[in-house]
Amino acid sequence: MAWEYSARTKEIFMDAVHGKPGTHMGEIEQPDGIGEHGSITCGDALRFTFRVRRHATDPLQDVITEARYLTFGCTSAIASSEALCTLIQQGTYTPIGALQITNRDIVEYLGGLPDQKIHCSVMGAEALEAAVFNWAQKRGVDLSALGIDMHAEEKEEGRLVCQCFGLTEPYLKRKIRELGLKTIAEITGAIKAGGACMSCHHKPGGLRDLLNEVWGAQPLTLKILPTPPEPREAAAADRPPFSPYQFNKQVEKALDQYVRPMLAKDGGGVEIIDIKDTVIYCRLVGACSGCGGAGMTLKLMVERSLKEMVDDRIRIIAV
Amino acid sequence: MRTIYLDNNATTAVAPEVREAMEAYFAAEYFNPSSAYDRASPAAQAIKRGRETLAHFLGGVDPSEILFTSCATESLNTALYGAVRANPGRRHVVTTAVEHPAVYEVCKDLARSGLEVTFLPVDRAGNLDLRTFIQALRPDTLIAAVMHANNETGVIFPVGQLARVTKDTDPAILFLTDATQTAGKLPLDLRGSLAHVDLLAFSGHKLHAPKGVGALFVRRGTPIRPFMIGGHQEGGRRAGTENVPYIAALTRAVELAQTDHEAVETRVRHLRDRLEAGLLAGIPCVEVNGQGAPRIPNTCNLAVHFIEGEGMLYQLNEHGICASSGSACTSGSLEPSHVLRAMQVPFTAVHGSIRLSLGRYNTDEDVDRMLEVFPRIVANLRRLSPYWDPAHERPRPEAEAMMQGTAQ
Repeated sequence: MAWEYSARTKEIFMDAVHGKPGTHMGEIEQPDGIGEHGSITCGDALRFTFRVRRHATDPLQDVITEARYLTFGCTSAIASSEALCTLIQQGTYTPIGALQITNRDIVEYLGGLPDQKIHCSVMGAEALEAAVFNWAQKRGVDLSALGIDMHAEEKEEGRLVCQCFGLTEPYLKRKIRELGLKTIAEITGAIKAGGACMSCHHKPGGLRDLLNEVWGAQPLTLKILPTPPEPREAAAADRPPFSPYQFNKQVEKALDQYVRPMLAKDGGGVEIIDIKDTVIYCRLVGACSGCGGAGMTLKLMVERSLKEMVDDRIRIIAV
Repeated sequence: MRTIYLDNNATTAVAPEVREAMEAYFAAEYFNPSSAYDRASPAAQAIKRGRETLAHFLGGVDPSEILFTSCATESLNTALYGAVRANPGRRHVVTTAVEHPAVYEVCKDLARSGLEVTFLPVDRAGNLDLRTFIQALRPDTLIAAVMHANNETGVIFPVGQLARVTKDTDPAILFLTDATQTAGKLPLDLRGSLAHVDLLAFSGHKLHAPKGVGALFVRRGTPIRPFMIGGHQEGGRRAGTENVPYIAALTRAVELAQTDHEAVETRVRHLRDRLEAGLLAGIPCVEVNGQGAPRIPNTCNLAVHFIEGEGMLYQLNEHGICASSGSACTSGSLEPSHVLRAMQVPFTAVHGSIRLSLGRYNTDEDVDRMLEVFPRIVANLRRLSPYWDPAHERPRPEAEAMMQGTAQ
């Protein structure tokens, strides 16, 4: 997949990785607000911190003076983080005021993002929200009294819909509404849900159903096939009518009493790799293994001995 | 800016000799090789000669055992679906968890249509366990499909031995190998070390022929049904007018590989080893994926902890260096490479893989340039990473503890 980034995104990324003056890489020590989003397992993670100029009496009049990020992620994740910090520092925002910055502002600042990379901008907006929540706790600001719902509960509670990225039904429904997501592809592009194993797309209570709940049922334009069954593990092969344990014991006994002493005369030995039914997979070890007749030795001597002593159905395969 | 091409497992440059060999069939010799008149004879001769050349290349097999196709993916689809359709009594397939999608996805499709598929795991180095392979073979096993060398890590599987064990267990089980990454790099002796392989596929564009031509070896007597029907070409086993210029190109590419592959591979191995040793010495917290396993000599797949692959590729791109990554962000999916996940690469590095694959046109200069720029590129991204302590050039303490965990 060749890159479809805007010139602006590329420029912001390169400035960021080269630590050009004016960029915002880093972490503020003892920040007034810290927020994280994503994880290294999911492929991208952002730690966002900010500092405020504290108002003497009213925390709501705190003003953000500095914003920094550390990001693990792709080109657009790093550019989105840089864009978020730039947007915040360019304006004069109170932490509450900064919540007006949405992922769309980040996309616009970057001169657009490819559809499947929209989630990078959403990650920025989410980390900002989390940092404001953290600031509110530190400053004793009651966000719910201000009518701001930080949705802190919905990630822990609620039915898990996308197992791969750990996303719940309340969170997904809110994001579908907030971001105006109309298709499964748009959901995956914006918040990654359904982007890995894809099993949550069409199952009951899955992404299709959530879209229908939020927007009303859509006329089907494609015939939707049921989710294919996952490949099953191989069932155990048929076993011989006698106990495999007893059979293996008898083979080992015969080898020890007769075959191994014979081979040992030439400084060799035989190693069992596996026994399946009456087929014995083995390898010659020691001096015999370099011998040109190794295959024949095994086949004739070992097989004949074991047939006589244990079971005439025995077959030897040299590996 | 000069392009430094380190992505030869994706495709290779068309060799000038190859281009020259195909040109006549775009111009004066445009005729349909099936036509009766004399003017069509050079086109028909080119295909005949190509079949003989490939037969010789594969250890002296019979030319009738070679089919020309459009790519390795077509060859592999033909082999798998063709085997299933010809053997309705057998409903079990053995393959590995690290196959190329041209096998992996076809096997998943077979599972969806009711067959049972066993995907064999690999260990941390990327090796298969012989005992696990043996245990997977069943009385109803139809085919075992095991790649010769992995396209991402270069790890070589002992297909000669696996094929022999398969045939000794039950001669009716077919053995297919995807030799796309080994054709031209390792000997493919279908009368010697690979004498028990029934089906072998590869493409032209990994050995300096153009994209759009491949081959499938089908050992005489192997029951498979054709994938494309509607013509007598390729003995009715692959219908469609032959792609004469591309077959001529593949022929020439195979000749080139035969002439000098040992010298080229020795040189390429030396470059790869120097590159790998230099990068390991110059960058902390880096591992070679496939370390300790036998590998083809051109591939170096690195796991770089705590950064993401796409940002590395993008910066390399700015230096004119072409490479690839198994990270989620560089694939269509949001999941990182199935190969690296099967190898249980720690989740702190599975998004940070980078594959450098060399070829006959790489030079010592290319390696020098990579050794110069890549450590800086990694350092740039780690400075931004929430898991890295750039002051001490090591992971942050809480991140270091995560390095053993695997992504599942």
